[in-house]
Amino acid sequence: MLFNSLQYLVFLPTVFLLFWLLPHRFRVPLLLVASYVFYMSWRPIYGLLIAGLTVANFFLVQFIGRSKDRKKLWVGITVAVNLITLGIFKYAGFGLTTVKDGLGLAGISWREPHLHILLPLGISFFVFEFIHYAVEVYRGKPVVKSFPQFALFASFFPTQIAGPIKRYMDFIPQLSIPAKFKWEYIDEGMQLILMGLAKKVLIADNLSMVVQAGFSHPDNFSAVDLWLITYAFAFQIFFDFAGYTDIARGSAMLFGYKVPINFNLPYLAANVSDFWHRWHISLSTWLRDYLYIPLGGSRCSKWLNYKNLFITMTLGGMWHGAAMHFLAWGAYQGLLLVAHKEYSQALEKAGVAAKLLNSKVYHAVSVIVTFHIVCIGWVLFRADDLAIAGKMIAKLAQAPVELMHFSISQLSVLQIRDPIIFPSLVLIIPALMVSHVVVNWLNDKKFYLSPPWAVQVGVMVALMCVLTIFSPDSSPKFIYFQF
Amino acid sequence: MDAVKSQADSNVLVPGAAANQKAGATAQSGVAPADQSQSLARKLLANRALVSMLLFLAVSFFWAAAELGKLSPADFAFRTWTACAIDEFLSNAEPRPKLDFIGSSLMLVPLGGVDADYLNRAIDAPHHHHSVYVESTLKKLTGADISTFNFALPGEMPSDAYLITKFLLKGEKKPDVLVYGVGPRDFLDNLLPSPGATDPYQYLSRFGDVQSRIDQIAPDWQQRLNYELGRVFYPYGKKNDLALDFTRSVTAVIDRLLPGAKPISIAARRSLLPDYKPFEVGKNDCLFRPSTADSRRFTDNIGEYRKRYKELKWDTYLSQMRFMADLLNTAREQGVQVVIVAMPITEINRNLMSDLAWETYRKGVKVLALSKGATYIDMQGSNQFKLEDFGDTVHLHSGGGRKLLDLICAKLADNISVRSALGIGRGKERSLALSKGSQI
Repeated sequence: MLFNSLQYLVFLPTVFLLFWLLPHRFRVPLLLVASYVFYMSWRPIYGLLIAGLTVANFFLVQFIGRSKDRKKLWVGITVAVNLITLGIFKYAGFGLTTVKDGLGLAGISWREPHLHILLPLGISFFVFEFIHYAVEVYRGKPVVKSFPQFALFASFFPTQIAGPIKRYMDFIPQLSIPAKFKWEYIDEGMQLILMGLAKKVLIADNLSMVVQAGFSHPDNFSAVDLWLITYAFAFQIFFDFAGYTDIARGSAMLFGYKVPINFNLPYLAANVSDFWHRWHISLSTWLRDYLYIPLGGSRCSKWLNYKNLFITMTLGGMWHGAAMHFLAWGAYQGLLLVAHKEYSQALEKAGVAAKLLNSKVYHAVSVIVTFHIVCIGWVLFRADDLAIAGKMIAKLAQAPVELMHFSISQLSVLQIRDPIIFPSLVLIIPALMVSHVVVNWLNDKKFYLSPPWAVQVGVMVALMCVLTIFSPDSSPKFIYFQF
Repeated sequence: MDAVKSQADSNVLVPGAAANQKAGATAQSGVAPADQSQSLARKLLANRALVSMLLFLAVSFFWAAAELGKLSPADFAFRTWTACAIDEFLSNAEPRPKLDFIGSSLMLVPLGGVDADYLNRAIDAPHHHHSVYVESTLKKLTGADISTFNFALPGEMPSDAYLITKFLLKGEKKPDVLVYGVGPRDFLDNLLPSPGATDPYQYLSRFGDVQSRIDQIAPDWQQRLNYELGRVFYPYGKKNDLALDFTRSVTAVIDRLLPGAKPISIAARRSLLPDYKPFEVGKNDCLFRPSTADSRRFTDNIGEYRKRYKELKWDTYLSQMRFMADLLNTAREQGVQVVIVAMPITEINRNLMSDLAWETYRKGVKVLALSKGATYIDMQGSNQFKLEDFGDTVHLHSGGGRKLLDLICAKLADNISVRSALGIGRGKERSLALSKGSQI
């Protein structure tokens, strides 16, 4: 069931009404049933997978909590069960293909068995939630005593398919509060859902056409075109995922529950480290807490720290998908973080004046440079394979030469007048960049804490009208559904 | 982290905390009984989501009353085979065609292919909507000038044919005779999700109200909900018109701001975006060329039909049969003589179906046609067509097509009902023809 479908338009209000009509003790069971209906509407058999993992984790983590001297063994078993499950469903095919390619390089011909495994939706997200729970109990946090509450933690339909990755200590206590209905839940929830749909349907889905054309036929476009297309993907993936997260948070808010945020104006990051504090926050903090720190984090020698950063980001890349280009994207992010640390230390050593580093001009240049570095990473992320990514990056590098003889009429995107998003790119991309700055400015002014009634109502009505008109008959799936 | 959270949360215009504070402030302020009605109004107004929904309903209502942004039914976003046919049919200033053809590609391909051979030139298929060969043959056989219009479209189902008959072939545009070529695929295609899923439906449904047939057109609850939402919310029901209107305005602005573009062709765009407007056709995108020995080579499309006939959906069969009955009733009410032609297909294709499915189709079409006063021509049962007449397992190539059209023309010219309807026969034959079906 997709958030941007008619099914969800019926499903969500139905669950919402039942939730607030039922006494508190029936609410968790109701949401649990609803979450399994939501999940199994895609492929019923995979309901058994999430149920099986839930049962296994619930009991295994009880052993971690109870054990005095075998905590490490039990947490190892629990993490292994989760990772093996993830490995089988997500990485088995990739592993076999890689072995085959490796043997091929050695001149050995081997026909790998074809595994008919469909990646279960959301597996990467709920497996990470299970691991987080096991590790936190190992570290001394309490176990969850109520099985229905634990089962709902993993399967909660708003966050089930693409996060945000929740923390059980934040989420489960909310389930025990016998909350009373407040109109504010609808105000806040509906606004988030409308904003999320607008980000997805109006922006991401339109940009996806430009991105598809550019990444499938890079030879048809000039270097400057390809930069525009890369910017388009940067905003497509942001608005697609941020849109999904808004709808997830808004849906949860309708039941009075808060789930973590995932984004904080990522393209205003002034360096790569800052970017990872603003992009997919629930994943980056998970990677920090359950991979980077267990590896040793920064409390070790400089080179070990760099190794830890590199491994964390490379594995983080692989989490997105079983493909070499995701691995390369992760490794690229790891290298960027290492380079950023080196750069910061070099500036410190060189005694560059703090006044310069804190100046607005330096900040603005840093934001622009970081954005472009991130965009090059997005090419690795979006390309179907490394060969296409390499071709695109090589062409992007020619942009300075092309710009010397550049005229706007040469842009290939301007020649494609249908769909209209192509020529509109030259206006939309700057507008989207400016939108980040404007939202940031409004944040600083604390505008969102108490927006004028008329503005908020006006925005909601306008969004309802616009979404009604521009809702497509079929919208592409959210990008993060594949992970 | 808290700083991050507060900033990011601000994506919501009213965070719960702020709203709660306001609600708390109101509750603590103490309200005098006399002010209770004012307080209730205030409380309702404070529910911004509720107010927004009510305002949206009001906007939708006034929008509907003013019919803002509504386009003419024939104002299409882009041209597909259906759009081209409707366009030409409505814009044709010449006297109305006396004889119309309807049907799927089984009828379309022979009509176009034969004309390409007959005229010895390539024909722009989506823009060629009459049959020069049939007009000429009928002239030879009857001595009368009988103009034709070809409304056969790729993938046209009886549901589409019904909408053509109901919404377009009426009044001044009403033909005397309607020749409808049917094949088993028209009734037994299990790949069709619903009658509302075809390209012709998207265009034809703009020309009238389909409410009376909505149970058949949208059998699935989601399709039905989609339809009902369109009826309730004007902007949703007219979203294609409104979006098109908006796109045109943006295009005009872009053209002014960024002039001098040489737009790429549909074919070039299709190579970049294969899923965008998949049915759009441009000028000379699809041609019928004079046939050569090579062009008559047999193409195996058995795989496609194996999928179409696999696990037959009887709901689809019954639904499409009902549409055919509706078509025949509508035509009869309008005084149009219908000729049903059971189109020939190869034995290879026929053998993909069970005997039950095949017999049900054949008998169903025949009984329905005759019971509704139509003329029935059984080309499949005529044993006139061999494998070498076909371009694939169902479509006749131009050679086989010529044989088909010769046979149809001969039967039409000989048939009293048809002659009467076309004004070739005596007047009293007309009423006789409309009252009783005939098999030829």
